[in-house]
Amino acid sequence: MPYEWIAILMFSTMLLMMITGQRVFGAIGFVAVIAAIALWGPGGSDMGFSSIMKLMKWNALLTLPMFVFMGYVMSESRLAEDMYKMFHVWFGPLPGGLAVGTILLMVMISAMNGLSVAGMAIGATIALPELLKRNYDKLMISGVIQGGSSLGILIPPSVVLVLFAQIARQPVSQLWLAGVFPGLLMAVLFILYIVIRCWWNPSLAPAMSAEERAAITWAERFRLLQAALLPIIIFAAMMIPFVKGWTSLTEASVIGALTSVLAAVLKRRFTREVFETATRNTLAITVMFMLIIMAALSFGAVFDGLGAGRAIENFFVSDLGLSAWEVLILMQLSFLIMGMFLDDTAMLVIVAPIYVGLAKAFGFDLIWYGVLYTITCQIAYLTPPFGYNLFLMRAMAPPDFTLPMIYRSVFPFVLVMLLTLVLVMIFPQIALWLPEKLL
Amino acid sequence: MPAWCSTYVRIIEAINYRVGRFAMYLLFAMMAVLLWSSITKIIQLPAIWTLEMAQFILVAYYLLGAPYTFQLDTNVRMDLLYARQSPRRKAIWDAVTVFVLIFYLGVMLYGAMGSTIYSFETSERAPTAWRPYLWPIKVIICISFVLMILQAAAHLIRDVAVWRGKEI
Repeated sequence: MPYEWIAILMFSTMLLMMITGQRVFGAIGFVAVIAAIALWGPGGSDMGFSSIMKLMKWNALLTLPMFVFMGYVMSESRLAEDMYKMFHVWFGPLPGGLAVGTILLMVMISAMNGLSVAGMAIGATIALPELLKRNYDKLMISGVIQGGSSLGILIPPSVVLVLFAQIARQPVSQLWLAGVFPGLLMAVLFILYIVIRCWWNPSLAPAMSAEERAAITWAERFRLLQAALLPIIIFAAMMIPFVKGWTSLTEASVIGALTSVLAAVLKRRFTREVFETATRNTLAITVMFMLIIMAALSFGAVFDGLGAGRAIENFFVSDLGLSAWEVLILMQLSFLIMGMFLDDTAMLVIVAPIYVGLAKAFGFDLIWYGVLYTITCQIAYLTPPFGYNLFLMRAMAPPDFTLPMIYRSVFPFVLVMLLTLVLVMIFPQIALWLPEKLL
Repeated sequence: MPAWCSTYVRIIEAINYRVGRFAMYLLFAMMAVLLWSSITKIIQLPAIWTLEMAQFILVAYYLLGAPYTFQLDTNVRMDLLYARQSPRRKAIWDAVTVFVLIFYLGVMLYGAMGSTIYSFETSERAPTAWRPYLWPIKVIICISFVLMILQAAAHLIRDVAVWRGKEI
């Protein structure tokens, strides 16, 4: 059998296995070890194990449990509550103001966290009840929380960019800085969408009433601004030592985690319950990611052994005769389509090495490519049938948020993300200006 | 179901629960090691063992903790069709597809054992400044996969019990 067919067979078997509802890592790992043994005999059985040893040397992964823990401490101890109140009094009078405030809250959460899980948890526990109480449209609520929380992987610190850095062998600090402006641009576009939409149809997002507005004193408004200090302090405690080179990335993530614990303790909200939930969920999320990465690494190794990377490169360049930009667009499109059906982390580990090689061969800047890649991942988090944020939303939202509704709600936000993706593709400086300026 | 089945499930789940709860707290060991590492850097005497130690702890953390997360059912599934089934249909599906998982874990264990024996025979050390022996972490990896397989088998028994209408 020609190698290309084996590669296609592996991919389709994996997809089929995943539909059965067995754990994703089991499905990926199974196809990987079967293929390895079939191709290389008993010696192929070591391939699975060697991915553990390889994974062990990926130091940057030490940040994963730290960021997850930090996110859970913040959501469980409701540290974000005051921040939300601040946005509420300042933006409440606008139509759609609380939705705008939710996006801004997500930007702040993203600056303290590397995944979208924390943003989802905080959005579902703090923003969602308040938005419902104010009679906001449910599609709007669901879209805002899912779209906003996905900023977590683009705005530094970002675990996805850490993984990308490992695969593409690029410095994390540059990748993180490159994510700042595209992330802010996306947030601004989200806000523009919300404001225009709610201006058009104010019933989607009723503004705060005049008497309620009058009840809030200016002293109260300014007192609430203090809430913005917390994210700034945590962000600074984590990023300054790292960007300045005093500590490594992993050590900085520990400092960040401990700072958030300290904040929760000082606010007297670090209860036994918070500790238990945060610690247990950190284990659950870390294990989930690590096992998927471990299985996907084995899968990727078999793929690599088959020469899939070269085959795809030949296909794009020799067979189709595409130019650099056409290849780039094709890569993004195939990512988007795969992201709908495949586990997003697995996709990163299996497909990214091949595409990074291609991007490099065409002379594209890999820092910029990493940002494009991360935006594609964000879209993958939101596109049905398979997206982390969709799952999280279904698990966290009240039952009257039905699945079709959750699916429908993300549509405008995915369009905004695509717009951001196109803008960053056309104007690479949006991503590259900050790292060039600072480093 | 025969009595030994429920005894097996009870014992295995009790073991994995305790091992998992222990692994859960390794998070703080990792933090302590990395914090010590930054302190030693600040006082200009960087420790050579901290990074590798943290790596070892991370491996123990997610592998020893894995059977416990099987119990919590927190490993993501592609549940487009699966989620819509009745609990009984889910149990039947799982009882069949769990062999996929067990096969994968078995191959991993086989590879891990081979590598552990090699480490013992050659007193293998990591090629770094600290030069730690590699067999301890490999033994932990082997134990983890044994525990994962035992836990997967416990799930199989539970699913068969649900299939036959008698939950354990």
